[in-house]
Formats: sequence, C-alpha cells, structure tokens
Amino acid sequence: MERYVVCKTTEMLPGQREIVQIGRGSIGVFNANGNYYALRNSCPHQGAPLCVGRLTGTTLPSQPGNYHYGREGEILACPWHGWEFDVTTGKSLFNPHKCLVKSYEVAVEPLEENIETYPVTVEDGLVVLYA
Amino acid sequence: MAEKGTEKKNGIIDCDVHVYPKSREELNKYLPLPWRDRYHPLNRAYGNIQGNRKDAKAPGGGGAGTDPNFLRYQLVNEYGMDHCILLPRAMLNNLPDPDMATAVAAAYNDWLADTWLGEYNDDGVFKGSLYVATQDPIAAAKEIERWAGHPHFVQVMTDSGARAPFGQRQYYPIYEACEKYGFPFAIHPGTDGMGINHQPTPGHPTRYIEFHTCLSLAFQAHLVSFLTEGVFVKYPKLKVVLVEGGVSWLAPLMWRLDAEYKGLRYEVPWLEKCPSEFLRDHVRLTSQPIERPDNDKYLLTMLEAMDAEHILMFSSDYPHWDFDSPKRAFPKLPDSLHRRIFYENAKELYKL
Repeated sequence: MERYVVCKTTEMLPGQREIVQIGRGSIGVFNANGNYYALRNSCPHQGAPLCVGRLTGTTLPSQPGNYHYGREGEILACPWHGWEFDVTTGKSLFNPHKCLVKSYEVAVEPLEENIETYPVTVEDGLVVLYA
Repeated sequence: MAEKGTEKKNGIIDCDVHVYPKSREELNKYLPLPWRDRYHPLNRAYGNIQGNRKDAKAPGGGGAGTDPNFLRYQLVNEYGMDHCILLPRAMLNNLPDPDMATAVAAAYNDWLADTWLGEYNDDGVFKGSLYVATQDPIAAAKEIERWAGHPHFVQVMTDSGARAPFGQRQYYPIYEACEKYGFPFAIHPGTDGMGINHQPTPGHPTRYIEFHTCLSLAFQAHLVSFLTEGVFVKYPKLKVVLVEGGVSWLAPLMWRLDAEYKGLRYEVPWLEKCPSEFLRDHVRLTSQPIERPDNDKYLLTMLEAMDAEHILMFSSDYPHWDFDSPKRAFPKLPDSLHRRIFYENAKELYKL
C-alpha cells in the first residue's frame, strides 16, 4: 500500500472530489459531508468512469407509496446507467454483496510543515490516499 | 407603475390570470426531494433524472451529442467504429397537425444533411436516418423521394408512438417509397402515449421504470402487425429495423405467432409460410439495451433461438443514459457471431 497526498483539506470541501491517476488505475477521492472516501473509478457494470457521477442522496427503502429521501451527499450515481453506490463503502444499493466497487483508505494528516510545531485541525490538513 | 393601493377600482374581477415562479429555484424551496429532481413542467410525462451520460457533455459547451469532435473522441475513436448510424430525436408522431409534423421532419433532414452528414463527415463515418412523421403518409413518401440517392442517408426512421399498428394499409405510401428507393424503415422508441398517440399498455404506466420497460410492447405489436397484414408480401424488398425495442422477446413471440398461424392461417391467406420465416429477409433488431440475465447462457440461448446471427445489429444508444458499451454490454460471443452482430449484419443491410 502506497501513500499519496491528494490535496489540502481546504481544497476539497464537502461534496467535492478529486480524480487521481495512480499508475494505470484511476481513483476518485470524495469529501462526503466532511468525511473522506475513495473508490475505484470504474463501474463494475460496463466500466464507466463511476467517480464522475452525481454525488447525491436517494430514496431509502420504504413501503409502497412512501418516500424517505436521505443520505444526501453519500450516494454516487454512475454517470452512464445511474447505478447507485454507497460512497462510504463502495457497495451498490441494489445488491450490496454482489455488486460493489473497490474502496480505499483515506486519511487526513497534518501538513508536513506543521508536524512539529502546530496543533493540527482538519481545516489545514492533507487528504491522503492509501492505495 | 401605479403605487399599490392607489389604483382606481372599476368593478372588474378577472377569473383567469397566470403567475409563475421567478425561477425553478424559487419553487424548489417548497418541493421536497425526490420530486425536486424529477418534476419538469411540460415534459413528456416520463422522465429520468439521468437523461444522458453525464460524461457526454461537450467540454466546450453544448449538450450531449452536439459536438462532432467530442462524439468522435468518445465513441468513434474510443471503440474504433467504422460507421455510426445517426437517429435524431425530433419526436413527431405525437403532433396533431400533420403539416407541422411533415415540415419539422423535413427541417431535421435538411439539418442532418448539412451538418453531420455533410460538414462533419469528410470520412463518411456518419450515416443518417431520414425522419418521417406518419400522420400524413403521402407527404412522408414525398419526403423520402426528395432524398433518393443521397450518399449518406441509409434508412427512413419514425417514432414508435402511433395511432394504429404500423402494418396497417394507411401507412403503405411510406413503405412503397422505402422499397422503391432502397431505404430500410426504422422504428425508434418515442411519443408512445403522447399527444395523439395510444399508449401500448392498458392505460398509462406510473413511473419511468414501468414506461421504459414496457417500450418493447409497442415494438412487438408493430412487428406482429407487419407480419400478419402481409406487408412483406406486398413489399417483398422492404426491410424493417426495430431500434431499441428489446431483443430477447423475439423468439418466444415468434413461437406464439407461428403457433397461432397453424390454426388461424385462414385469416391471413396471403401468408404462405410461417410468420417467423419472414424475419431473416425483412426484419432487423438493434441490440441496446441488451437484456443481461445473471446467467449468460440464457442470453446466448435466446440469441441462437432468434437467429441473431442474421438479424441482430449492435447499437450503443450514445449518448443516452442507458448506453451499451461495445466492450462490456455483451457476454463473450463466438467470434463469428460477434462479427455478424457488431459488423456484418449492418454492413449488409445498409450496403456499407
């Protein structure tokens, strides 16, 4: 597992993302409501660039005729066919166990120059991907 | 402008005045999700929030499918396509005024000829579809005649929405012209249940998922109509292309129709062979959206049963949301079958 610095936390606000190229692979790093996640940028269905899709909410499971909209900002909809994935786990909503995309570890770490001297907050950290 | 409250009242009550939100955002404050994403006033009733591939918007501005360079980059070059058959989406068969429908069809044809089949088409990669509206079949036949001999129009097309199944005789001027000038007649989903058209289900479906799944029903009805009305007997050189109407229903539908024919042949004495035997000579289906069961062997069996080797032609539906990738939509096919579906069948039909 390699460490990759993606950007400063101030450069990826809630709802924003970065697509990074790591070797031959493309990975999407997301700030979903203040938490960071990373998914492989390839839909398991037909290979679309999944991570350029809409980051949205969705209708949660409910009884017929009832609608509960939720998980705003945590659902990634594939840009082609709209298959929905939980950005926090990479699992699809329609079949979480059989249809999923690889997820990676993301950490917020202190800015290198601050390591010794300053207390670190998320506001001035680094978004770091382990892939 | 008069100051509020100072206008003189003249004893008038106006009983029909219209006001509008200043913007969609003004309304959105009052409209909760999921409806905020889904409601579009004056739309075609069934909408999908995805619409087009989200990565298909031209980078320089403009909607999906508007920029020839980007389309070449994202489709033609990405997959190494020899030709793309272009089908504009004018949506005409729903219009009550046949003269308007005819005029708009002609406009689309002139536009396509000038741009995608002309200016953008130095290498001839783009082949086009001549749009016709079916409300005035005689006018449609004249429109077809107008383009006879054009080097890049390769078929006539119309929307699947209709007031009557397409095998009926009121449409025959269109088929006569198609046969005379060598154009296959393509049917593409659109305008079903809209405007003057019937909805090919028992009433209107509720949601897009239901509407979109049931689009195949119109194609099945049109095909059975073509076959039983004897259109292919009357026009022995006519070819019909069912575009985006589904694939794997074909074989079971033909089993059923052939079975009916054995007892009901007397109704259709112009058919001197089983209806299914007309398919190879007269009917082609395009593949997208290919049905993909969890077990590939079921699809492969259906492809064999429907004679896909001779009648199925690959299509992607680019740039629509349900795009089929040439690399990923199908399971692994035998090489010869792959070549027939992805290349040979279309090459032969369109004489490319």
